[in-house]
Amino acid sequence: MNRIKQLAINEEGFVFDPLTGDSFTVNQTGLFILQKLKEGKETEQIVKELTEEFEVSQEEAERDLIDFVEKLRSYRLL
Amino acid sequence: MELKIAVSGINAVDNPGPGIGVAKSLTEAEDFSAQIIGLAYDAMEPGIYMDWIIKKSFIMPYPSGGHDAFINRLIYIKDNYGLDFVMSVLDAELPVLIKYADELEKNGIKTFLPTYQQFKLRAKDRLEEIAQSIGIDIPKSAVVSSYDELIKAVEKIGLPVMVKGAFYKAYRAYTTQEAISYYNKIVAQWGYPIIVQQVVSGEEMNVVAVGDGEGNSLGMVGIKKMWITELGKIWTGVTIKNEKMLTAAQKFIEKYGWRGAFELECIVDTKEDRVYLIEINPRFPAWSYFSTGVGVNIAANIIRKAFDLPVKQYADYPAGKLYVRFTDDLVTDMDRFQKVITRGES
Repeated sequence: MNRIKQLAINEEGFVFDPLTGDSFTVNQTGLFILQKLKEGKETEQIVKELTEEFEVSQEEAERDLIDFVEKLRSYRLL
Repeated sequence: MELKIAVSGINAVDNPGPGIGVAKSLTEAEDFSAQIIGLAYDAMEPGIYMDWIIKKSFIMPYPSGGHDAFINRLIYIKDNYGLDFVMSVLDAELPVLIKYADELEKNGIKTFLPTYQQFKLRAKDRLEEIAQSIGIDIPKSAVVSSYDELIKAVEKIGLPVMVKGAFYKAYRAYTTQEAISYYNKIVAQWGYPIIVQQVVSGEEMNVVAVGDGEGNSLGMVGIKKMWITELGKIWTGVTIKNEKMLTAAQKFIEKYGWRGAFELECIVDTKEDRVYLIEINPRFPAWSYFSTGVGVNIAANIIRKAFDLPVKQYADYPAGKLYVRFTDDLVTDMDRFQKVITRGES
């Protein structure tokens, strides 16, 4: 179940899950990824945009994205 | 339309009754003008002194006094001050009010209550059947009245267990010895029977809703308690939209034709997508003003329904709204207190 689309995300990285009432804070990169996932973008596209937005290599962006997505899975948000 | 509405549970103390929240909700309705009458059981109930919400208060005899005491007191209020509606928010008042609702109606006092059959659904031994019929789960539980039954139940359910009174108190026991100790504690204070229940993982979420008695909802809001007091009472909460829990509340209204306000107390395990029904309260919870604060004034809708005014359709509410309770204090003259003590009314 993809619950990302239901999340309320503010510009400062405060994230509220209306299903569970849980709230999280994410850093700038996390916020960027969440917004892209919410827009329904695929992994490859997000990696590309991460390398454009931040000064990171493709490998580093991929690794960070996989880590973050796993974390979202552990919270059952993906 | 001007209405004199009596509200009980105005004991706004550390374990607050629901009355003040309900009274505030009623006074905020724009399509009728509610003048609130407080029904108190003690001259110290803070609502008596909160004259910006409650214009006049009366000391009530305990509902266990039955018809002669309780109902006659309401009729006295009607005759001497005026009374159009009784909004009961306390469990203990419901049986007598349900029983004599017709007599009150004949005397020009309306109520909007569940039937006696519906009221009995709140009994803990009915929860399993209700949970099943509205598509949610219930923790394994057993009703016990002796050490022997208690020990057997603990063995069957497996530690840890919740040890609960029929209406009040609940403790988590990690050992059989602890379970026995809590059993004794609850029996000494509240009597038999005792309920032994499986501990389920998840978070406490609640729904406040009102049914119109014809299978329709007159408003519904789901919340999660974020911070509770030592007595387990909400201090901070947030509105949530757990569809499974809200659907269960909707089904409860449809299936049982529930009339009046109620609260479903649930434990929600979002990882396993399970909702466990813990308790049904046949009345407003103490936090019901939260619902009004997010635009769903269900207390006002009860009045609209009872007086054939157009009910408001509250289809939705925002998730992520925060509820914060706070303490306050006031200073007043002794006059009001003396008046309440000597005359039984403010």
